[in-house]
Amino acid sequence: MPMGHTATAEAGSGGLTATEHRLANGLRVVLSEDHLTPVAAVCLWYDVGSRHEVKGRTGLAHLFEHLMFQGSGQVKGNGHFELVQGAGGSLNGTTSFERTNYFETMPTHQLELALWLEADRMGSLLAALDDESMENQRDVVKNERRQRYDNVPYGTAFEKLTALAYPEGHPYHHTPIGSMADLDAATLEDARAFFRTYYAPNNAVLSVVGDIDPEQTLAWVEKYFGSIAGHDGKPAPRDGALPETMGGQLREVVEEEVPARALMAAYRLPEDGTRACDAADLALTVLGGGESSRLYNRLVRRDRTAVAAGFGLLRLAGAPSLGWLDVKTSGDVEVPVIETAVDEELARFAEEGPTAEEMERAQAQLEREWLDRLGTVAGRADELCRYAVLFGDPQLALTAVQRVLDITAEEVQEVAKARLRPDNRAVLVYEPIAPDEADTEAATDATDATDEEAAK
Amino acid sequence: MTELATMEFHPQPQAGEARPWAFPEPGRGTLDNGLTVLRCHRPGQQVVAVEVLLAAPLDAEPQGLDGIATIMARAFSEGTDKHSAEDFAAELERCGATLDAYADHPGVRLSLEVPVSRLPKALGLLADALRAPAFEDSEVERLVRNRLDEIPHETANPARRAAKELSRQLFPASARMSRPRQGTEKTVSAIDSAAVRAFYDSHVRPATATAVVVGDLSDVDLDALLGETLGAWTGSQAQARPVPPVTADDTGRVVIVDRPGAVQTQLLIGRVGADRHDRVWPAQVLGTYCLGGTLTSRLDRVLREEKGYTYGVRAFGQVLRSAPDGTGAAMLAISGSVDTPNTGPALDDLWKVLRTLAAEGLTDAERDVAVQNLVGVAPLKFETAAAVAGTLADQVEQYLPDDYQATLYQQLAATGTVEATAAAVSAFPVDRLVTVLVGDAAQIEEPVRALGIGEVTVVTAE
Repeated sequence: MPMGHTATAEAGSGGLTATEHRLANGLRVVLSEDHLTPVAAVCLWYDVGSRHEVKGRTGLAHLFEHLMFQGSGQVKGNGHFELVQGAGGSLNGTTSFERTNYFETMPTHQLELALWLEADRMGSLLAALDDESMENQRDVVKNERRQRYDNVPYGTAFEKLTALAYPEGHPYHHTPIGSMADLDAATLEDARAFFRTYYAPNNAVLSVVGDIDPEQTLAWVEKYFGSIAGHDGKPAPRDGALPETMGGQLREVVEEEVPARALMAAYRLPEDGTRACDAADLALTVLGGGESSRLYNRLVRRDRTAVAAGFGLLRLAGAPSLGWLDVKTSGDVEVPVIETAVDEELARFAEEGPTAEEMERAQAQLEREWLDRLGTVAGRADELCRYAVLFGDPQLALTAVQRVLDITAEEVQEVAKARLRPDNRAVLVYEPIAPDEADTEAATDATDATDEEAAK
Repeated sequence: MTELATMEFHPQPQAGEARPWAFPEPGRGTLDNGLTVLRCHRPGQQVVAVEVLLAAPLDAEPQGLDGIATIMARAFSEGTDKHSAEDFAAELERCGATLDAYADHPGVRLSLEVPVSRLPKALGLLADALRAPAFEDSEVERLVRNRLDEIPHETANPARRAAKELSRQLFPASARMSRPRQGTEKTVSAIDSAAVRAFYDSHVRPATATAVVVGDLSDVDLDALLGETLGAWTGSQAQARPVPPVTADDTGRVVIVDRPGAVQTQLLIGRVGADRHDRVWPAQVLGTYCLGGTLTSRLDRVLREEKGYTYGVRAFGQVLRSAPDGTGAAMLAISGSVDTPNTGPALDDLWKVLRTLAAEGLTDAERDVAVQNLVGVAPLKFETAAAVAGTLADQVEQYLPDDYQATLYQQLAATGTVEATAAAVSAFPVDRLVTVLVGDAAQIEEPVRALGIGEVTVVTAE
């Protein structure tokens, strides 16, 4: 097994280090030691997400993720859940546009079990996959869709806005949950083909973080994963590149039974992994993060036209990122009042840029968010995989905070000026209707708009 | 149909030797102003968590002003004698801090999280908020309007609507617990800054408050810091407020809250039972986990993994309010959502699971796995400062000793299958459960009636 380099702690990494290794079958392995608590996190990212899905099979990557918990060569039925939970561990899997991840956090002395389980399904899932689990998990996922999207007010906003923001045929035009029709249409053979295409050691990164002995851990990884054959049959995802700006405003008005009017919008922003994306993150934080942001102060505190107002960033590496605006109106306030105020604030910000104090606040907020993410072994394991899969270098996870702190006010202003414009956004307006006018479908809080679907 | 795998298989590995871990023991002390302080050093936890508990329970809210504790809690972060509302929010965020505050039956809680490097400044702001809140007329008025705007959003959310209805059903109309925690349109409208100030004057003082500080405190002189911040808060002495007993009507019945067109039915099936003061608690935790704690528990094994009726159904016990004399209570409930056409069959299966549990009991294997999970996950669950601080604060709020959580793990490990079965069966008796269904009455009423699980009434949606 060729050994990677041992990193020494870089400036701004908070003293964290990680080492990199690669098995002969192509599986990349990242290890990071931390003996403060007797726990170890295992995280496995497969480089496949909903962007790899084809027309007529939306939701397949996520449905498949559920099937990964239905047993494999040596694991019966729900054994993955039973064995990990019975060992005092926790586990789950999630699917996003760009990747599918599986993770276990274990008491240190049970780490080997988690590695054995992940290897078993990577190497032998198809020995257990059958019609019964396919039919059952299809129903479970359809109920997940109903619970999280179809049965709650504003529940389908994320899906609608994404479809507006990325053109028809674009790999990010549809969200990971997929459509009911496509979930119905997926076959066992689709699932088998999906596994054979994407679930290979050379299409994955495994990270193990926490109270570990790196040599022993690597020996276990080699023992359990080493014999799984790699293969190169994976087609590249369709190209997600788009012009820097939308070149015009896209708009949809939704008349539904919702409790209040809402203005939501998605702005096209720079790809993740760039300085401009970090600058955009800071711009959105100054404008709409927390309760001292410009939009919160204007709409909620001063004008009192909104019950909630905020901006979020959906970071994407394979297509432009999205700046996510969500405003729910107060009382009888009409949407144009909100929209005018938002446009004024964005124009003023592009003109003035952030103040020194605003920069300090936004950087402090993002720094804390990073400390939170890196404060648990599971969070660190996930970030190491993220940077390894999306950007080819896990070490970048440990210096991400410093990169955000290095961004200047000029860079923030520049990205705001170029991107946070009315002609670079997709807009979704909600107009409430009375129950008897409503279709059979109601749709709630899109403020937690998520790009992830989990197995439980 | 099966496919030959090409990998080399190895037997399932055995566990190594467990490394010792114990729930941390906090240090306890009292400042000169009477404030109780719990502290706990957690190496490596750079984000410090501070929890403050105020003895301002919901049953202390004046008649007709339900929601005033919530408005007060929110108003703490809307300005002080040193900062305007906007400046206060800005100063907090400049520390990279978050401050949440909410009111519940036992009292008001404030939760601060901040990187340890900026703890001194953030703790100063928190102390200002408690010591000298501005409660300006216009800010309180804004919070009231904002709260009124939130109510329709909650009513439209099936899970929140179900919770509201269950409280209304279970508790006597005269009890504060029967009414929404954050008030109704009518009561919230009646709240103004003078009323908030009066509530604060009556119920907020250091002598009846507790602060919990958890994180990597190796470079912090906490005594000096507390002295300059929370130590500067003054207030009169006060007697501990008596805690009224909790009474509930759990006569088995079904209430459908009509939500025409809903594609799923939100289930909330509950009653009131023992809290942590009762000796049965560890067995109840274990039995409830076996019934519906996770995807491999009895309920999901049938409703999700066999039938596919749901994304997941959970059984849980959640303390409502405890009392020093042990007369408190917990909500014991089963919740989840099932697709509309399968509402009848899903409830039928759910009741079958409960009846089978009562008739046949749990197995030793189920009990063992549950103990291994509940005890084994402790080091994972308490990795962050916030998780430790939250549990320490819960213990104080529930009049439990500081070593309660540590002891609970020993008790769980010592609880047998028979005790866990008995506790689960008496926690969820099939004829003493109030079932709230938020869903399309036109489609679910008849199938639910046919089950015979209690009298069915339909409530029209607001």
